[in-house]
Amino acid sequence: MTKYSVQATTSSPYISFDPEDMSFEIKGESYPENCWAFYSPMFEWLESFFDSTNGDRIEINMEIIYFNSSSSKTFMDFFEMLDDYAEKGRNIEVNWRYHEENESAMECGEEFMGDVEQIKFNLVEFAG
Amino acid sequence: MRTSLFKYYNEMQRDGVILYFNGPVSQPVVEGMAELMRSKMRAEDAGMGSVQRVFAILVEQMQNIVRYSSERQVDNVNQQGEMALGQVVVGREDDGRFFVACGNKVNSSDCVELSEYIQTLRSMSKNELKTYYRERRKGPDCATSKGAGLGFVEMARKAFRPMDFDIVPLDGDTSFFSMKVVTQ
Repeated sequence: MTKYSVQATTSSPYISFDPEDMSFEIKGESYPENCWAFYSPMFEWLESFFDSTNGDRIEINMEIIYFNSSSSKTFMDFFEMLDDYAEKGRNIEVNWRYHEENESAMECGEEFMGDVEQIKFNLVEFAG
Repeated sequence: MRTSLFKYYNEMQRDGVILYFNGPVSQPVVEGMAELMRSKMRAEDAGMGSVQRVFAILVEQMQNIVRYSSERQVDNVNQQGEMALGQVVVGREDDGRFFVACGNKVNSSDCVELSEYIQTLRSMSKNELKTYYRERRKGPDCATSKGAGLGFVEMARKAFRPMDFDIVPLDGDTSFFSMKVVTQ
């Protein structure tokens, strides 16, 4: 399967899903004009990825500075999709990364953590 | 129009206005204004929390204009994305708290629902808003197809006091909607 990669813009994040070295990263801002249009190719890629692989542990790093309410809904859909795959036996971890001064990103991470059931959701604070 | 804008300048100074925009709003305008406000507040050493709250409310309000203003640019077929007319104001209250306000035309037929929705949010406590937000986010897609319908709840959660709003009927089909959010 080929890598899925999107460059960051002012209002949308950098996305890199690489099945070769199994690195999954979403990083940046998220308030695109049409959230669904922006993220649906990522959802489709992930579905094919899960359909064509099995077993391996998947770790997704997310570092979002700001996200709007539509992105919030989309991220919840994303975590619910991961929850479904985890329920079917996939080993999935999400690292929600935030800067130590970004209190809002921390609180949002806590709320997502409280709303997922099957995946392992880690809050990862970093400095500097 | 008069050449001198001094009258407007004075009025806005008096009302604590930092930024005022009136005109067509598109996604690049949303990005530009939100980034501008963020840079300005950072340069003035505002706390990270208040910078983030103003940024977030400004983005939600301006994206609402792009999505829901009934006064739209229709001749921009060559352009990507949508453009709609609206107003945005960022300023400070007498006590120093930041406020973000917006105004735009809406369809009168949507006003009862809009008004009831904001009234409901106004009556909720912070904890109730949190619970409602998470329930609504987990639920199946909300009524509006363009957005997640969570924007108002998001703003209510970041507000210091219940959000103010106002609806003025213009003619049978159109009304003018305004809202003002004072941040925590």
